[in-house]
Amino acid sequence: MDLYLAAFGFGLVSLSVIAIGAVGFTMQFGITNMINLAYGEVMISSAYVAYYVNRAGISIWIAMIAGAVFGAAFSFLLNRIVYAPFLAKGTSHIGMVIVSLAVSLMMANLLLPIVGYYSVSYQNSTGDLIRVGSIILTTNQIAIIAVAVALMLLIHGLLRYTRLGKAMRATSANPTLARNCGIPTQRVVDMVWVITGALCGLAGVVAAMDSDTFAIANGATFLITILAAAVLGGAGQPYGAMIGAVLIGLITELSAAAWSPQYKEVVAFGILVLVMVLRPQGLLAKRGALAAAG
Amino acid sequence: MNTYYAANLLIYAGVDIIACLALNLQFGVSGIVNFSFIVFQAVGAYTAAVLSLPPDHTPGFDYQIYVGGYQLPFPIPWLGGAIAGGLLAVPVGLVVLRKLRSDYQAIALLVLSVITNQVITNARPFLNGAAGLASVPPPLSSQLDPNTERYQYLYIALTAVCVVLVFAVVNRIVNSPYGRSLRAMRERELAAAAIGKNPVALKMTVFIVGGVIAGLSGAILVGFIQLWAPSVWLYPETIILFAAVIVGGRGNNIGAILGALLVPVGFEEVTRVLNTNNLNFGPPGLLSALQWVAIGLLIIGFLWFRPEGVRPEPRRVFAGSPDTVEVELVRPA
Repeated sequence: MDLYLAAFGFGLVSLSVIAIGAVGFTMQFGITNMINLAYGEVMISSAYVAYYVNRAGISIWIAMIAGAVFGAAFSFLLNRIVYAPFLAKGTSHIGMVIVSLAVSLMMANLLLPIVGYYSVSYQNSTGDLIRVGSIILTTNQIAIIAVAVALMLLIHGLLRYTRLGKAMRATSANPTLARNCGIPTQRVVDMVWVITGALCGLAGVVAAMDSDTFAIANGATFLITILAAAVLGGAGQPYGAMIGAVLIGLITELSAAAWSPQYKEVVAFGILVLVMVLRPQGLLAKRGALAAAG
Repeated sequence: MNTYYAANLLIYAGVDIIACLALNLQFGVSGIVNFSFIVFQAVGAYTAAVLSLPPDHTPGFDYQIYVGGYQLPFPIPWLGGAIAGGLLAVPVGLVVLRKLRSDYQAIALLVLSVITNQVITNARPFLNGAAGLASVPPPLSSQLDPNTERYQYLYIALTAVCVVLVFAVVNRIVNSPYGRSLRAMRERELAAAAIGKNPVALKMTVFIVGGVIAGLSGAILVGFIQLWAPSVWLYPETIILFAAVIVGGRGNNIGAILGALLVPVGFEEVTRVLNTNNLNFGPPGLLSALQWVAIGLLIIGFLWFRPEGVRPEPRRVFAGSPDTVEVELVRPA
């Protein structure tokens, strides 16, 4: 039982990491209608940016901001330079998925000669141990959870109470109608890429902190867990992604305790398949993964 | 240019052509974005390998562990590989192709490809894990020594027969009324369904036929290179084949063949020439990394400048119809 309680503690950390990434991913998809398969590579690139800043002797918590800034800037440029022109040209959804996969492949391989094949880790003390019953976490892990909670509240506030958030929700619901109502959808979409890019960068750094060592190959595994959480919650739904992250984070960590940590992604994938068979629209979305009617 | 080198080149070309024809049938003609294509090739290769290998406790083979080991004579491993590819397509297709939107189908298949590779790598007792299977007996090796020139010609001939066969089959499908249904589904699924075509049945059939052909291509390849490991079927290998089909011309079988020769075979040759002439530069691995970057650029470049590819799909209009112009307009670009 203690083992499972300990796993529950790790689950809290992993779900925080996944939540940051999945909310960013799902907002990108919900508002810009773009399944960005390069998301995992942007995460890992941001983790490396933070790594180099960290190696220069700066605290990882400040390096994390550098990672977020890189993620935001890179995502914004990626959309402006690659995705937006293709969308403007009328490329189909499927065409965009292929384009983003090509981008992901290029990023991974451009990064490889720069950062090398070897796993690296941040220079960072793990912090003191804090025990609550059988749950043992380091102060760093608790800080990660706190960062995630703060970000979720910020996203909630942004979407609910600000003009930008309302404009985002309007653009997500019906871009043409939003434009006709005088919402500058172009600027809204730019802002979405900046905000979700920052989330993506943060998620990358936090995920790299959580997994002790990281290498380029982690980009693909990050993406899988995040896809699973986003699809489970109903793609395009930020609140759904949060619920999805909670479920995926806890289930994968508990399964790691019960079975083998090697198969965490396999469990995430199993959940993804179950969702796709039983409830393709996800937990919250009205349509989600279901075939569009027309 | 000796026989062995020529055999290597021709057999890789044959395997890539077969794979591209299958992918073109799925992606180019029917619009199914099968990002786990390489998994079907891998299943064919593993099946052919365990069908032709002796049991894993045989001396000389006992450094690896795997299931099966049936030592079956030549055509059976190839047929088995093809059948395995088709069988795998059934459950995958049933999960992925029935209800999901096309972009979700694509990501589900991509994730499947990554996960399958991970599972096979980690689960060693099944197919020898990351090290993979080695010393796979080549077909007909008991009748003819595989290290002779005659054997190379034989293997080239066998591969060529398969290429011709596959080409005949996919060409027949593409140019038949059935092929017309497939294109109709690709262009507008709802309209195809409205005139009584069952999109799920069409997709499943194409998925299974493609799986069979992919499995065959894997079986041919493993018989020749005699080893098969998770590192040769990572998901980017599928992207190379997509690049080939996009470059060659989506929906055009001749284009798929051309793409197979230009992209996978062409890239392999360029790297080989650079390596043998010591033109390698930068840190180790830079060249192969740049090769992947080039593949990505090729896809993006073609989708931007020439989405129809080198050999565009022929426009099919009814010559006798008075409304030919209108028919052309109806087809969305």
